[in-house]
Amino acid sequence: MIGNRRILAAVAAVALTLGVAACGSDDEGEATGGALTMWTFKRTHVEALQQAAAAFKAKTGTDVKIEAFTPDDVFTAKIQSAAQTKDLPDVLELHSGGEDMRVGGGGLLADLKGDFDAKLDRFLPSTRESGRVTQQRKDTIEELSGATVGSLYSVPFTAGTFGIVYANKEKLKAAGLDPTKPPATWEQFLDYLKATTTADKDQGGLSLGLKVTQTGFNWIYEQLAFAYLGQQKFEALFGKGTTAGFGSPDGVKTLDLYSQLKPYWIPGASALGIDEADIAFAQGKSAFNVGGTFTLAFLAQNNMKPENVLAFPIPPATGGAVSDLRLAPLALTGLAVTSTSANKSGATQWVDFLTSPEGAGIFAKASLDLPATDLGTQAESLIGPDLAALQQFFTGPAQNTYDAGNRGFRPPDYDEVEMGNPLLKLSPLGEADAAGTGRTLDTVIKAMWDAK
Amino acid sequence: MTATDTATIAARLVTEPRRTTRRGRNALVGYAFIAPAVLLFLAMGLYTLVYSFGLSFAKWNGFSPTWEWVGLDNYKDLLFADPRLAPEVRNAAVNTGIAMVAVSLGTVLIALPLATLLNSITRLRGLLRSVFFLPYVTAGIAVYYAWRYVLEPQGAVNLALRSVGLGSLSRPQGFLADPDTALPALVVIMIWGSVPVAMLLYLAGLQAIDPAVIEAASLDGAGPVRRLRHITWPLLVPITVAILLLGLRDTMQGFQIFLIMTNGGPGGHTDVLGLEAYQQAFLQSLSPTLGVASALGWLIFIAALLLAVVNARLLRSRQ
Repeated sequence: MIGNRRILAAVAAVALTLGVAACGSDDEGEATGGALTMWTFKRTHVEALQQAAAAFKAKTGTDVKIEAFTPDDVFTAKIQSAAQTKDLPDVLELHSGGEDMRVGGGGLLADLKGDFDAKLDRFLPSTRESGRVTQQRKDTIEELSGATVGSLYSVPFTAGTFGIVYANKEKLKAAGLDPTKPPATWEQFLDYLKATTTADKDQGGLSLGLKVTQTGFNWIYEQLAFAYLGQQKFEALFGKGTTAGFGSPDGVKTLDLYSQLKPYWIPGASALGIDEADIAFAQGKSAFNVGGTFTLAFLAQNNMKPENVLAFPIPPATGGAVSDLRLAPLALTGLAVTSTSANKSGATQWVDFLTSPEGAGIFAKASLDLPATDLGTQAESLIGPDLAALQQFFTGPAQNTYDAGNRGFRPPDYDEVEMGNPLLKLSPLGEADAAGTGRTLDTVIKAMWDAK
Repeated sequence: MTATDTATIAARLVTEPRRTTRRGRNALVGYAFIAPAVLLFLAMGLYTLVYSFGLSFAKWNGFSPTWEWVGLDNYKDLLFADPRLAPEVRNAAVNTGIAMVAVSLGTVLIALPLATLLNSITRLRGLLRSVFFLPYVTAGIAVYYAWRYVLEPQGAVNLALRSVGLGSLSRPQGFLADPDTALPALVVIMIWGSVPVAMLLYLAGLQAIDPAVIEAASLDGAGPVRRLRHITWPLLVPITVAILLLGLRDTMQGFQIFLIMTNGGPGGHTDVLGLEAYQQAFLQSLSPTLGVASALGWLIFIAALLLAVVNARLLRSRQ
C-alpha cells in the first residue's frame, strides 16, 4: 500500500513537472485580430505613446498596449527570444537604418511598401527612405542578402541629430556670460567652458556619457572635423588606402582641436553612461552637456526646466572650411510591423496614425521628442520654442550640412565603438597625443576596410 | 527432506518474487523521483550546451531562419585572424588574468589572518563572524551601485582621503574613471565580496585541527611562528588550494561587476573576457555575432577546464 502511494507520488511529480513545462509554452490559442502590442526601447516614449494610443482607441476602438524594454541589450535579448518563441508584438520601434534592416532581413518584419510608399511625403525629406532596402544596404548588410530591393521595413518615427550642446543658463550667468547668446565658434565655446570651470571648478565643466566611448566621436568630433575640413576632406579621413586620413596633418589638426576639451570635462566623465551624464547636467553637476535633439526630453523628465537651457550645435572652429554649420536631421527610430502579427491591418493602421500629423503631434507634445513627421507650422506650439528653435539648424546649403546618416564613404563594416576608444585615450584620459591617436584611427579604419 | 525444510523452501519460493517485485518497484520510484531533474537537465543544460557548441561554428543574430556555418572562423577571429577583434580579446585576457591572480591571492591574504584572529578569540566570535560575512550576503547589483557612488570623484573614498590629509592619494577623476585605478578598484571590490566565504572555510579548517597536536608542539617548545609554519599551515593547504581555484574560476567567468561598474572602461582598461562575450552577444545592434560570443564562451570554458584539472592534480598530490 505504502509502495503504491510512493509510486503515485512520483508519477504525480513527473506529471506536475510536465504540466508546468506545458504551461510555459506560448499562448497560441489566444484570440487574435483585436488588441495590438507595441514594444519600444525608449522609456521616455512610453507615456507619449500611451496618450497617442488613447486617441487611436477613441477613433478606431482598437486597444494598443505599449511595453518598454531597456537598456538596449535587454531589448535585443527580448527580440531574439520572442523571435524563437513566435511571441513578437505587432509593432516594434527600432533604431533606423541598421537595426530595422537586420530584423527585417531576418524575416521578422512585414514589407510596408504598399501601405506607405504614397504617404512618405509626410516625413522630413532626409528621413523618408530610412527604412528602405537599397542596393547599397543590400551589399553591406549581411542579413539583407535575401531581401528585395525597394522593400520598406520601417517608416521613420523620430528624427533629430547629434552634436547639440546644452548649456545651463544659470551657470552661464554665474560665470559672467550672456545666457541668451550661444558661442559662435569653437574658440568661443572653449572660452565659455574656461569661464564656467573657473567659476565652479567641480561643477562647471562639460558632461558627456563617455562610458559609451563612441559618443565623443559621433557627437562632438565628427561635427567639429566636418566644419574644419569641409565635406570632401572630412570624408577622405575614412577613405580606403587614403593618405589624407586621421594621421595626416589635416586629421591631426582636427584631433588637436578636440583635445582642447581636456581641461574642461567634469571629473569622472569617462565613467558616465549617456543617461548618467544627462542626469548630472540636470542636477547641476555640469555647465554644458552634449547630446542630440532627443536629449531635451530626457532633461525635462529629470526636472531640468527647458527655459533654463540654452541649446546650440557644436560650434565650428575659426579658419575652417565651414563657418555656418548645419546638421541634417536623420531618422533616429522607425516603426515596423512584424511579419507574425495576427492583426496586420490594425498594426498598419496604428503606425499610420502615429506618423500622421495628428498622432505625431500628440506624441511630440507629450514626449518633447522630434517626430520624423513634418509638423510644419504647428511645430513650435507642439514641441516648444526651444526644440523648435533647433530646427533652424536643420536646413542650409548641402556643403555646410553635416549628415550623420550619410554612411556611404565609410568602410562597409564600420564600427563606431572602435573609433571612440582611441579618442577617449586622447581626451579626457590623455594617454595619447593627437598624432598617435591619428595613427591608431587610421589603423582601425584600414582594418575595417580589410575585413571580410 | 523434512517437513520443515520443505516449508522453508516453499516460503522462499513465495517471498523471492515478492522481494524482486519490491526491489523493482523501489527502483521505479527512484527513477520517477529523479526524472524531473533529469528532464530539466536535458532541456536546460545539455540542450543549451550542445546548441551553444554548434553555434560557435556559425554566424547568427538570434532570429534569422538559418545559421551560416563558418567552421573554425569564429575561433580563429578571436585568437588571431580578425585584426579588430583579436587585440580586444588579448587585452581582455590580460585584464582577466590580472584580476584572477589579484583576487585569488588578495582573498587568501586577507581571509587567513582574519580567520586566525577569529579562531583565537572566544568572546564576540559569533557576532564578528556575522559582521565579516555580511559582504557575501549583500553582494549584488545594488551593492555595485553603492560602490560606484563611494568611488566617484566626490565620493566617500576621496572625501576620507582628503579629510585625513592624504589628499595626494585621492583621484580627481574618481577611481573608476582613472585608467590607473579602475581595475585595482574592481579587484578590491571582488576581494571584499569573496573574503567572507574564504574566511569561513579557513575558520572551519582551523577548528578541525586537533588542539592536542598544537598543545604537544607547544610542550615540545615550538613557538607560535613554528606552530603556524609546521602544523597549522600544512593542514590548511588543501583549503587554500580550493579557495585559490574558486577565486580564479569565479573571476574568469564573472562579468557582472565589470558590466555594471565600468562597462570595460575607461578605454578598455577593465575589459574582461566574460564582458567581451556578453558585448559580442547582446550589444552589436543585432549583428550576427552570437557565434563569436559562443566561441569565446567555449574558450573560457576550456580555460576553466584546465584550471579544474590543475585543481584535481594539486589536491591529489597533497593527499
